Amino acid sequence: MHTSLRSIILMLTAITGLFSACQKDDLPRNYAFDAYDFAALDETGGAWKPVLLSGPAQIALPAPLSVTDPAYLEELAELKAASENPGSEQLEAVRYWGNNPLVRWNEIARELAAKYNLAPAPNADGSYSAPSAANPGVYPLFPFAHPPYTCRMLAYWSAAQFDALISAWHYKYAYNRPAPHQVDASLKTHLPQTTLPSYPADGAVVAAVSEVILGAMFPLEKDYIAAKAAEHRQAMQWAGLHVSSDIEAGTALGQGVAAVFMARAANDGMKNAQAPKPVSDSLRQAAQDRFGWSWQNLEDPPRPVGITPLFGQVRLWCIPNVEATRPPAPPAPGSAAFNEAVAELKDIADNLTLEQRRIANFWSDGLGTYTPPGHWNRLACELMVAAKYNPLRSARTFAYLNMAVMDAGISCWDAKYYYHYPRPAQVIPGFKTILGIPNFPSYTSGHSVFSAAAAEVLGHIFPAEKARCEAWAKEAADSRVYAGIHFRFDAEAGLEQGRQVAAYSVAVARLDGAE
Amino acid sequence: MAGRTSLFIFQLTRTMKIKQFARMFPAMALWCVCAWPQLSAQTPSDAIMMANGQFCAALLYTHDTWDEYWEGTLKRDNGNIGVLTRQSVMPMLALGIGERINVIGALPWVRTAASAGQVAGAQGLQDWGLWVKAKVFERGPLSAYGVLGAGAPASRYLPDYAPFNLGLGAPELSLRGIAAYQHSSGLYGRAHWAYHFRGQATIERDYYYTTHGYYTDQVEVPDAVTYGVVAGAWLLNESLKVEAGYDGMISQWGHDIRRQDVGFPSNRMIFTRIGGGLQYHPPRLKGLGFVLSGNYVLAGRNVGQSTTLTGGLLYQFSLWNNHQQ
Repeated sequence: MHTSLRSIILMLTAITGLFSACQKDDLPRNYAFDAYDFAALDETGGAWKPVLLSGPAQIALPAPLSVTDPAYLEELAELKAASENPGSEQLEAVRYWGNNPLVRWNEIARELAAKYNLAPAPNADGSYSAPSAANPGVYPLFPFAHPPYTCRMLAYWSAAQFDALISAWHYKYAYNRPAPHQVDASLKTHLPQTTLPSYPADGAVVAAVSEVILGAMFPLEKDYIAAKAAEHRQAMQWAGLHVSSDIEAGTALGQGVAAVFMARAANDGMKNAQAPKPVSDSLRQAAQDRFGWSWQNLEDPPRPVGITPLFGQVRLWCIPNVEATRPPAPPAPGSAAFNEAVAELKDIADNLTLEQRRIANFWSDGLGTYTPPGHWNRLACELMVAAKYNPLRSARTFAYLNMAVMDAGISCWDAKYYYHYPRPAQVIPGFKTILGIPNFPSYTSGHSVFSAAAAEVLGHIFPAEKARCEAWAKEAADSRVYAGIHFRFDAEAGLEQGRQVAAYSVAVARLDGAE
Repeated sequence: MAGRTSLFIFQLTRTMKIKQFARMFPAMALWCVCAWPQLSAQTPSDAIMMANGQFCAALLYTHDTWDEYWEGTLKRDNGNIGVLTRQSVMPMLALGIGERINVIGALPWVRTAASAGQVAGAQGLQDWGLWVKAKVFERGPLSAYGVLGAGAPASRYLPDYAPFNLGLGAPELSLRGIAAYQHSSGLYGRAHWAYHFRGQATIERDYYYTTHGYYTDQVEVPDAVTYGVVAGAWLLNESLKVEAGYDGMISQWGHDIRRQDVGFPSNRMIFTRIGGGLQYHPPRLKGLGFVLSGNYVLAGRNVGQSTTLTGGLLYQFSLWNNHQQ
């Protein structure tokens, strides 16, 4: 029997050994797409109208050395050595960064948003601490990448990329340095070749802008971001795309343009958006006096201040003033329209279908996610890859998308704290939701405003996708009603508000020279 | 899962539990159910074998609550959950086939609810489970068993948003070994160990963040090991069984719940638990039995500190081979 026990133990041990370390973890961590031939090079892109730069040459870039200069030839020899026989890891990096690295950097930005989109936990005494930009590493970590924070982060990242690439295109065609593969036909390249002039390297511009803007927005991630940028720059050489002076010039240009945008960011009002409690309370009191209602946080312990009460005062990109897109007042609690909306919510809660649940979850984009602005950036990536956009046109898409989405956020937050409207769960006794209730007032629905604005811009840029984008926005708006987070009128007014916001952005886009 | 809780026995429980627990809400366990002295009953993790042709039906109710949970290694409460309650009703069937094989099946219905906050709980069928148990060794008071188990969601419940989820949402295959000692006085002891292979759960979002982002609606649920030791005795002329045990679960990988985040099916769930149970077969009610058991989580990670109570009824009869009784 001893023998038998021993054999059983041995068997179990062997089984354990066989089973352990079986974790596959092969689920996709990125949007997978192959490098593609650009549909167009947008040779005149250097003349497009930038967002903040006074002109494409505001950041000066010296002329490059001639391709016959010995120093250039030395760089070319180094490039040939780098791309001659890259290892599998290096080729994997080349494949990862591809030839539209804006998609990858946008993905990185969204992942950081998801990582930092967690609300502060309550302290033992029931109070809450706030993240501090001055001490980002002290819990609660800075930033709390909620939707206002994330839409602003994406807007600065996108608009800076657009201006920087307009400037890069200007210099490319002004200096007209041929691509290395045109100088030396024996150069091995591992991404599609183009006739786009090589100086400055557009990929390096993108990496530098990303490093500056994302590093500022996520200060605890600076090392991670720097490592990504370094790999990106190296990948351009492993791919055989750019000599080192192309990359250095792109880096300098990107840094210079990004600094212009960070100067705007420093004074756009965001630092005051997370208002102190007295200011927050005064907004509530103003709504109570004006309308006879106000929103309350329902958590336990209650959060003393909602998310960014003064985000509505942050500087807009394309709208003259925030009142221009403020929606009309919502129905008063107790009114017929209000009662109808309550009845709809109760009916949905009692009879939720699997399809309604799926929609609520698919668009939930709540805590721990990249938020609705991130969701629309993801969709935009897929559209621009399908359209084979070059980096400049991709940056333009991101810029108008995310300026509109940030304006949508500002306009929505203005309405949220002006009207200070209660959430359904605050005014319907016993009402339960299937998702967590965000920490800000109900009217208008942020999902709806963000989504309608995004759909309007994407529908303008990709006319063939307009109907699909509008259907997504409608579904995103509906999702909040299905989840019990919003009244129907929050969602409907939000969709209209988003469309109005985007009309301003589209009007700017029509005149920038790219259409 | 609290849902699952059940009982049939301890072990069953354990298997199920895992999943349930998974959710952070451990459920609990149970003791064995269907067996009484001469008849032998059974559960995936006990040492009881039903005789050829014997059939046992059980209905178990489990009530599992916690008001504190481990967010990673940090023990905390949550004012927006208050007390989390998982209730489950689990029918369970077991059948003896030949002298060495038992087949067991179970299908729990689970309901979750929080006493505080505005988030609605869920309810519905959780995961079906099927086990084949074989006696692989017997000599004198010693015996050993091997159990092959399988399970998968029996409804489209959402495995997202722990602790409100009904289950982990993934298919599972498990292999269990049981070693048992039965003394002629009625005292017995047993140890069991199992490895649970888990597949992927499907959620309704196609991007999620754990320690990095995933672009899919599939979630890899970590494999787990469960283990336990039990000591007990048959008393009152073998009409009453009394047991006490210690058991646990260890996810083989996975990630911690981040500060102030919600639970997720890929969390690394660990717990240790103590429990005890009674099983009574009134001598005058042939074939009928009652079970009552309780468990308490001593320590854990990414699970709730559950207190679980289970009660149930069993009924055993012969489908064939009557003379053996």
